[in-house]
Amino acid sequence: MVDVTRKYVIPGELVSEGKYKNSLNVFRVEDKYYSTRVGMAEITPDSVRVIPLTGPYIPRVDDLVVGKIVDYSAFAWEVDINSCFYAYLPAQNVFGRDYSPARNELTQKFAVGDLIAAKVMAFDRTRDPLLSLSGPGLGKIRQGEVVKISPTKVPRVIGKKGSMIRAVEMGTNCRLTVAQNGLIVISGPTEGIIKAISALRLIEKEAHVADLTQKVQTLLSVKVDEKSESESDGEQEE
Amino acid sequence: MSKSSITKLLDAKGVRHDGRKFNELRPVTMKVGVLENADGSAYIEFGKNKIMAAVYGPREVHPKHMSVPDRSVLRCRYHMTPFSTDTRKNPAPSRREIEISKVIREGLEPALILTDYPRTAIEVYLEVLQSDGGSRCASITAASLALADAGINMRDLVVGCAAGKIEGRVVVDLDDVEDKEGEGDMPMAILPNLGQVTLLQLDGRFSRKEFDEAFKLAKDGCMKVYDIQRKALMEKYFGAEETGEQ
Amino acid sequence: MNSKMSKKSLVVEHLKRAQMLDILTKGVRLDGRGLLDYRPITIETGIIEKANGSAKVRIGNTEVIAGVKVQTGAPFEDTPDQGLLIVTAEVLPLASAYAEPGPPNEDAIELARVADRGIRESGVVDLKELCLVKGKNVLAVFIDVSVLNVDGNLFDAVSYAAVAALLSSTMPKYEVTAEGVKDTGKTIPLPVKLTPISITMVLIGNTIIVDPTLDEESVMTARITIASADKNTICAGQKGNPGGFTEEQVMLAIDTAISKGEEIRKMLKKGVGHGKKQK
Repeated sequence: MVDVTRKYVIPGELVSEGKYKNSLNVFRVEDKYYSTRVGMAEITPDSVRVIPLTGPYIPRVDDLVVGKIVDYSAFAWEVDINSCFYAYLPAQNVFGRDYSPARNELTQKFAVGDLIAAKVMAFDRTRDPLLSLSGPGLGKIRQGEVVKISPTKVPRVIGKKGSMIRAVEMGTNCRLTVAQNGLIVISGPTEGIIKAISALRLIEKEAHVADLTQKVQTLLSVKVDEKSESESDGEQEE
Repeated sequence: MSKSSITKLLDAKGVRHDGRKFNELRPVTMKVGVLENADGSAYIEFGKNKIMAAVYGPREVHPKHMSVPDRSVLRCRYHMTPFSTDTRKNPAPSRREIEISKVIREGLEPALILTDYPRTAIEVYLEVLQSDGGSRCASITAASLALADAGINMRDLVVGCAAGKIEGRVVVDLDDVEDKEGEGDMPMAILPNLGQVTLLQLDGRFSRKEFDEAFKLAKDGCMKVYDIQRKALMEKYFGAEETGEQ
Repeated sequence: MNSKMSKKSLVVEHLKRAQMLDILTKGVRLDGRGLLDYRPITIETGIIEKANGSAKVRIGNTEVIAGVKVQTGAPFEDTPDQGLLIVTAEVLPLASAYAEPGPPNEDAIELARVADRGIRESGVVDLKELCLVKGKNVLAVFIDVSVLNVDGNLFDAVSYAAVAALLSSTMPKYEVTAEGVKDTGKTIPLPVKLTPISITMVLIGNTIIVDPTLDEESVMTARITIASADKNTICAGQKGNPGGFTEEQVMLAIDTAISKGEEIRKMLKKGVGHGKKQK
């Protein structure tokens, strides 16, 4: 086990002093690293990072997102992905390379108000995110309840190697699609959906607490096999 | 409403009209995450000041041509409800409110890492539900809590506290009466960990020595307020019992 | 500052609309309420010491604050022996991602005017008792309502906050002397005669529900607000949104407003009674 020091921090608080190879959500003044967010600081011999507990969704390439179609032009749909940027789904990505605005009608595929699951295909500081539907399970969402949580708590909802999701799915007989932008689609029986929502609210509220998987299992009265659990019950692998 | 005019702001023992010592703050309480819709929010009571702060963003800029390619645009509105003052205030923003909005925005900006959110806007709304002297200092303190609650990358929190002069004596944190009948007021805000002054205004007459005293009192006041501010943020995210190291 | 939000932020999810219509036909709502149930209502009074009266009202996640200020002023020329009663309402930009700073838009003006009618037309305050010197000096009662958080049914929240603030309000006692009017420094209760209660209903599909949430308002076809002064009198009404009601639906709305109004009136008076009285 790597030696990890953890502490709760707020913006401006000194996280650590020294030389580190990697850092996340901190800013450096000479040898001093200050937190830029409210969260849990994790300090190892070569890294200093803060796992934030609140914040906006900033897209990353390959993220799974759930978004709402809010507009369209001749060449793309505009999608609200719960971020500071609207994303674009190019018509070519849906109709194929030989897409022509004269031949194909965008509204035949998706109308304003439709929900879609998509992958972030490209994004950088200078352009709005581009989405793609190529991949299994991507496309229009036709059923289920959509729940919004803080995007910073998504790793916690997924759990280490998916342990938390599995616990919730087993305890509720529902299927959960957890998108990186904080939207979760729950499908299954109504009672299961209600139970799943209460489990998600618990995870959101107590994201900073250790042995959270245990608590959720107790809430839903399920037992997940122990092997997938590690003692630290930490973050999802990046 | 009807207020008997107070002639004596300091008694012979140096006690202020509300019973405070020269270096004593009014009671301060803060709460983080008080509004459902806002991305971040905070509520502060500072003496009789009651102020709500909310942050929306980072989000798309409207109108779009106002966006900046390499950073977020910070906007700030300080506004007083019509019932917040002794005499009813017209709800339309006054020149005073517009100026205060500007100094608060410029006092918050050094704390924010706006380059992390290019082409977006961050909006800070401050609503004074009741005002009692020192509302801009209380506002900036609440605003920085709301920004931290929204999870916007910050170099530090921002905390405000005023010093002033009554009956020839420099004191901390003037209330409404002391502000109106005293000889000087100096609101200030600082980045408590980085030690920068980000808001400073002054009206009245201070000698060079009195300024030094006022500066020190305001700074000490800020650090006392910071302690309460930090606890309020910790309490929202880690619970009441978890305000120290784990 | 201009941060006009584009219309695209108001697009309603098709999935949500379908779920809502489906569940309403079964007589329940997405949050588990019955069709004619309000969300939990809380009322706090006496929260703004500098005001003559004040109240904070929550209906579910909708939150508003109202303050009453009583000042001297000049009467209107056509009513020289009556005081003034003015209700304003503002949706603060901190209340919603879609509220805009700046002068009130038509929705905010409608909100304020409907609240104003519900209160003024019912004769809630005897304006003659607010006259000091006929044609010259009267008392003006300002009720300013600010919306702090938007989650549907602002009409009722604004109205309850305004009424609760009035019920808890005092006014300065003035003396009329040869030199003019003089503030005695004393306060007396505001002469509030009635407790008008507004009930807002919306039509979704063919179903009428009370106290809509923001989600429900986003799929409604029409809205109607009816205020009652007591169980026999209605005192204000406003139909809103581009949709229509059948004659039967209007009658149902009136009956509902009266019966539901009685229920809320009792609760509101009790809430104010428990709250802090203004100094």
